[in-house]
Amino acid sequence: MKLSWKPYILSLLVILIIFPFVYLVLLSFASDWQFPNLLPSYFGSRNWQMVVGSENGLLGSLTLSIIISLSVATISTLSGFILSRTVSYHSKKHTLTLLTYFPYILAPVVFGACLSYFFLKIGLFGTATGVVLAQFMIAFPYALIFFSSFWGNRTKSFENLVSTLGGSQWQSFSKVLFPMAGGMLLICFFQTFLISWFEYGLTSIIGVGKVQTLTIKVFLFIKESNFFFGALSCCLLIFPPVLLLYINKKYVFNKLI
Amino acid sequence: MKRKRSTISIAFFILVGVVPFAAAFIYALLYSFGIVGVVNTGFTTQFWETVITSGEFFKSFAYSALIAALSVIISVSTALWLTLKFRKELDKKFLSYIIYLPLAIPGVVAAFFTYQLLSKSGFFSRIAYQFGWIQEARFFPDLVNDQMAIGIIITFITVVVPFFLLLFLNVYKNERIQELSELSASLGAKPNQVLWRISLPVILHKTWVLIVLYFIFLLGAYEIPLILGQESPQMLSVLIIRELKQYDLSKISEGYVAAVIYTVTVSVAAVILFSKRKRIAHEA
Repeated sequence: MKLSWKPYILSLLVILIIFPFVYLVLLSFASDWQFPNLLPSYFGSRNWQMVVGSENGLLGSLTLSIIISLSVATISTLSGFILSRTVSYHSKKHTLTLLTYFPYILAPVVFGACLSYFFLKIGLFGTATGVVLAQFMIAFPYALIFFSSFWGNRTKSFENLVSTLGGSQWQSFSKVLFPMAGGMLLICFFQTFLISWFEYGLTSIIGVGKVQTLTIKVFLFIKESNFFFGALSCCLLIFPPVLLLYINKKYVFNKLI
Repeated sequence: MKRKRSTISIAFFILVGVVPFAAAFIYALLYSFGIVGVVNTGFTTQFWETVITSGEFFKSFAYSALIAALSVIISVSTALWLTLKFRKELDKKFLSYIIYLPLAIPGVVAAFFTYQLLSKSGFFSRIAYQFGWIQEARFFPDLVNDQMAIGIIITFITVVVPFFLLLFLNVYKNERIQELSELSASLGAKPNQVLWRISLPVILHKTWVLIVLYFIFLLGAYEIPLILGQESPQMLSVLIIRELKQYDLSKISEGYVAAVIYTVTVSVAAVILFSKRKRIAHEA
């Protein structure tokens, strides 16, 4: 009988995927873990209890990250949807689309460093509003490119029909286009939320360490060699996206190809 | 009225989509030539000459390109192998959700996790000690902050493979490669011919733009090389930010030279990539 090696490879794959989640959760419950001990001396809920107390500001960082990401996702999705219509129906569509690829393809941290002078001049350097604006500048091109496939002949025909029947542009958006694009709007919202949620480089440059989102916190804890709180911040950072990915996993890749 | 609204929309698009990039680029360009900047006195090509003759930037560029290329090649090969060997198993309910989980891990967490596992006092070092393979932490091989960028490459691969695996599985389904393979087999094609003439060409043709895009993203990656990289050579973004944030104000212009060269290179790549994509779309 021929023995199949496939189950072993698949089991290894599952272990490799789940291991980081389990390891980070366990590390977040640990403290006082000296080399060469294989297990930590303390294992309990002390670190997590400190999150509720505001000693390390993690709860504040979590709230701030949620507010920033929700703001970036909302503004980028709505403006991306509306402006992608203008770009898609424009005679210079390809040139305009190409222009949006530049900030999208550039490393956000380099983009932010070159923009920091302007943020300083308009008084947004080191503020949460500045971070929202900076993250919007990289999330917006994504949203615009994402919605470009929505605006085609079929959508145009619906808009013409509304117009023929006497509907205004506002009615066209509110009664036809938004309901038609409901699923896409939701996916784009999730994706731009994740772009903002995962962002580190741009946030560190524009926020100058004053706007401490969760990614900034992870770095601070690494610098302080406080790996247990680092792991705890990582847990707070990865579990909301797990939930979001579960919700929109079916659609993510169909829109990418 | 309609025309006016369209003009306002385009103006707003240019304001949020084009002006920031243009402003950032022009500012960096002016700074690199000494026209703006706190300690700069006027137009000079001195900073460009220094960057070009010192060679550190180009070394960093080559180093980053090598790491990015190696990571993308290994990731794409692994993802292709997993797709072609395990597509049926990965379609089952439990596995089809599990393979999405790595997408929830951002670069900063992936780098932190790699550091926890592979550093000299990390988890694998502790296991090696318990097995008696090493006597002290310092005997554990350099796998992070190392010359060969092993930690960076491993982390890049772990971040990129899940993305390409999901992408290829979707292309396999959407492009109906299974049906195409069965058809060619019924026409007498051997398994090797099906693989090299049907499956691989179809998948790669459909995804090559995203593969090149990922190479460009990795070229400019910041968090992972910042945590797992070494002092010299550094990856591009880390080098540029180090130059821009240094205390010696007279050296900042050199950082902007590096930023300008990087931006021009990436922008040219974007133009080539997306105008080619447009042409292919038209031909199709």
